[in-house]
Amino acid sequence: MAHVSVPMYWRTIPQRYRLVGMQCKKCGKVNFPPKGVCKYCNASSEFAEVRLSGKGKVHTFTLIGAGGAPPEFAEQEKAGGVYPVTIVELEEGPKVIGQMADVNPKDVTIGMPVRAELRRIYEEEGVVRYGFKFVPLEGGA
Amino acid sequence: MTLGISGYGVAIPRLRIKREDYAKAWGSFSAAGVNEKAVAGFDEDMLTLATKVSARALESVPLTPDKVTRFAFASTTPPYTEKLLSGTVLAGLGAPGDTYATDHISSTRAGTEAMLAGFEHLAANPTGCALVAAADAPMASMWDPIEHAMGSGAAAFVLSGFATLAELEGSASYVSEYFGERFRPREEGQTRDLNVKKFSEGSFVTNTTRAATALLKKLGRKPEDYAHVVVQQPDARAPASAAAKLGFQDPQLAAGMVSVALGDLGAASTPVGLAAALEASKVGDRILVVSYGSGAGSDALSFKVVSDRKPAFTVSKEAARKEYVDYVQYLKLKGAIR
Repeated sequence: MAHVSVPMYWRTIPQRYRLVGMQCKKCGKVNFPPKGVCKYCNASSEFAEVRLSGKGKVHTFTLIGAGGAPPEFAEQEKAGGVYPVTIVELEEGPKVIGQMADVNPKDVTIGMPVRAELRRIYEEEGVVRYGFKFVPLEGGA
Repeated sequence: MTLGISGYGVAIPRLRIKREDYAKAWGSFSAAGVNEKAVAGFDEDMLTLATKVSARALESVPLTPDKVTRFAFASTTPPYTEKLLSGTVLAGLGAPGDTYATDHISSTRAGTEAMLAGFEHLAANPTGCALVAAADAPMASMWDPIEHAMGSGAAAFVLSGFATLAELEGSASYVSEYFGERFRPREEGQTRDLNVKKFSEGSFVTNTTRAATALLKKLGRKPEDYAHVVVQQPDARAPASAAAKLGFQDPQLAAGMVSVALGDLGAASTPVGLAAALEASKVGDRILVVSYGSGAGSDALSFKVVSDRKPAFTVSKEAARKEYVDYVQYLKLKGAIR
């Protein structure tokens, strides 16, 4: 299992729970997940916190099934079946990876509008790890 | 200043199971009047659902999360039995940490407990803003007939003295000592019921009618003054027994009867029912809400609708978005076989 310690996970709550990104004060681009140095201009480490809308479009996706899930998602795959993992291009620019929920895997298409919402990602040591997943936009909050 | 509901939001998990699938598996279906029920996804729990409805309720006003001064969470099936739960929702929303937050988790009455906690806060802080979220997916052993009705759903309300769409006219409660109906001993994960039907019905009718009668008396109202009455729905037949005793007619129950298509929503039963009644109401309508929790107790709240404003996410919209699972898929999602 990809182990992420409790304190390490805790530090990333703003980005995992509500998509808080960092806007570069020099070039204006939004870094998500947050970076030490702006990945776009490579010239600034000064940022302003910005909350992303969570809305975007499916840039590309794959379906995980047939026992192909990593250990922390094995039970999810067994209970819920095949699940989509997408790279979503957010309105604000960044491309982020996340599972897609509330959708029949057959219905996922490139370009489909989605929105992020809080879900259970996995459980480790009895602790629920929450974070965002994408859902079809019409059903989103 | 008149306090009331300034906005609300609803979320129903997308999966459904039909009564026929239970009948196929068990030979019968014991949830009277329930045609199908909502099933939470593997990656949903009552905190993710509460976060979703809370965001929707705030957007319906609209209001930003930093305005929330009081938060109350209600559920009988939170992901932890010890650990403060509200913090997850507030972190998910980005609401301020100095919000006074409480968890109401021991009874299906919790939804109205949370609403009354919100109104009590506003009585002392009239310029405040209370956010109340009820989310539930009651759970019992698959062998237990009470499991058949158990569905899942959530509703949240923004309560304040501003931009109200339904004003609170008053409330009354009744609490008494009963046992054997819907209880979960400390060491157990599943809710039990001793199935002493008549005794449990007696508790349901006694507690709900006493709370409702006290409120009607206090407000000088009669049943016919209400367009809608929303009563706790352990199944789709229970509300009629209490409503009839109070002098309400079936059409007054119709709009809030969410259990027919969604099942027993536990602590979210009357909150989702209230959202459905608000969706169906017009200006001037009065709505009576009567919750019930085994053990036992009941809260009654009276609202007067003062605005036709409807939110983007209503019960009918959420109920219409669905995909069916069969009984084996249901058992897997519930963790009943693993």
